[in-house]
Amino acid sequence: MASFVYYRFKSQKDESKISFDGTGISVFDLKREIIVANNLKANDFDLLLFDPSNEQEYEDDTHIIPRSSSVIAKRVPAKTGKGRGVLYLTAAAPNGTQSDVLYGKDKVPTSSLMRARV
Amino acid sequence: MPAPDYPTLSVTLLGAGQEVGRSCCVLEYRGKTVVCDAGVHPAYSGMASLPFIDDLDWSTVDAVLITHFHLDHAASLTYIMEKTNFKDGKGKVYMTHPTKAVYKFLMQDFVRMSSTSTDVLFTPLDLSMSLSSIIPVSAHQLITVSPGLSFTPYHAGHVLGACMFMIDIAGLKILYTGDYSREEDRHLVKAEVPPTRPDVLITESTYGVQGHEEREEKEHRFCSLVHSIIRRGGHVLMPVFALGRAQELLLILEEYWKRHPELHNVPVYYASNLARKCMAIYQTYIHTMNANVRARFARRDNPFVFKHVSNLPQSRGWEKRIAEGPPCVILATPGMLQSGPSRELLELWAPDARNGLIITGYSVEGTLARDIVNEPEEIPSTKGDNITIPRKLSVDYISFSAHVDGPQNTEFIEHVKAQHVVLVHGDSGAMNRLRISLQQRFKDREEEIKVHTPRNCETLKLTFRGERVAKVWAIGT
Ligand SMILES: [Zn+2]
Ligand SMILES: [Zn+2]
Repeated sequence: MASFVYYRFKSQKDESKISFDGTGISVFDLKREIIVANNLKANDFDLLLFDPSNEQEYEDDTHIIPRSSSVIAKRVPAKTGKGRGVLYLTAAAPNGTQSDVLYGKDKVPTSSLMRARV
Repeated sequence: MPAPDYPTLSVTLLGAGQEVGRSCCVLEYRGKTVVCDAGVHPAYSGMASLPFIDDLDWSTVDAVLITHFHLDHAASLTYIMEKTNFKDGKGKVYMTHPTKAVYKFLMQDFVRMSSTSTDVLFTPLDLSMSLSSIIPVSAHQLITVSPGLSFTPYHAGHVLGACMFMIDIAGLKILYTGDYSREEDRHLVKAEVPPTRPDVLITESTYGVQGHEEREEKEHRFCSLVHSIIRRGGHVLMPVFALGRAQELLLILEEYWKRHPELHNVPVYYASNLARKCMAIYQTYIHTMNANVRARFARRDNPFVFKHVSNLPQSRGWEKRIAEGPPCVILATPGMLQSGPSRELLELWAPDARNGLIITGYSVEGTLARDIVNEPEEIPSTKGDNITIPRKLSVDYISFSAHVDGPQNTEFIEHVKAQHVVLVHGDSGAMNRLRISLQQRFKDREEEIKVHTPRNCETLKLTFRGERVAKVWAIGT
């Protein structure tokens, strides 16, 4: 059964959702899904995620966000030169995130995401 | 350190900070918030093209002022009005009458173009909802937004309807230029120097310190180039933005064709349905244009009714038919060759050395129009990721872009004499060269003028002496 995490860009009125399998999604995978869902094809920004209850940033990409939670996304200018947005589309997830932990090796997200043009 | 009770003006660029594109400047002073311009970045599409709007609570905005209809100044407005919490607040949106008239058609076209991709920012319904709450204003009109906040638009040249805004927040005066030109051309007036002296000047810096070529020389070079490409049996392609410089180029070509009967069998095409729709607006607002146009119009010689230029009906596959036809001159959109007709024609004509491409406007970094002036051997095709096309056609760059050049901008800045100058709308190289040159001039004359070049989302805080503002307070509101 599909699980959801809800997100809203800080300036947006309405919430959107990302679906996935499992009980939670890593910050890394969630960022990637949001970048793909919004077709954020630029290399000049960083995407930050925040916990709406305490406005703390999820700085650790391996952190797991449980299903049915809401997060706030923020598009900010890249601090130095190139933004990290692209990284989420091209790099493999850091070790220990749900890509291999929760999905199991055969269920790694399809490579269509990886091929998304940036 | 300034005393804590001195009021501080915050200037935050959500876009156009050390870049050209997605202009969006937030001014905060004494509890008022004014946003100047709401554009998109031409090198990107969809959400990636928006200014960094997550940095602002839009319900706190008192006024959004749009300087002109160009997409890099106006195209994120609908998104901001309809998709953020802007309407939870009391914010009002203003632009001049001609800007609003053109903006409507431009945005309808923008929605249509983006609805074919995955990059839909808003729907036609969002657009019409937002249009009705845009307040049209006239140049020189003093508009009071709320007690303690007012502004006056002044002509900025550049394109039809373009204005700069003199904003008065609790007695503090800020002049935001938007894009402006100080040279009168065939149809527009040049930018005015507002009668009052602002405390802060926020000005474009597209051309940095670079100077423009003399107008007559440039027009001569342009017409000779067009003529020589036709003589060698080639097609002439000019990528343009539908409105603005295109009308000026058409006026120049029309005049040249009139003087050269041997060219009368060579068609000049203008491929823009949008421009055709907007011609009526140009005709309606002839009274806001310069003396030359008004005089011709008075003689019933409407300069925007062309004899030698034909509007091209854009039926399916027209690009290929034109490309395979006899030599012609064509102005086609988009101006930076991102995708669409101008790109398609370029890809068809690029392999033939007889053909010629003329880039006439400013091109933003990251677009093909910017890259192709370096005359690459090959250009990327829009047909597929790894397909390239040999480039044999000639490439020339003759700038007709209606922005001030370095010397004109410097002259204006010196004339305005604001205590703080904030440079926006220029890539970092150009902007920094201008900053250094200005700082040197002010230093030589021992003038206490500060020049700032903030990056996106780096808030600039300017403090003003309490008693001075207090004094203006008494006179002001
Ligand atoms: Zn402009
Ligand atoms: Zn501009």
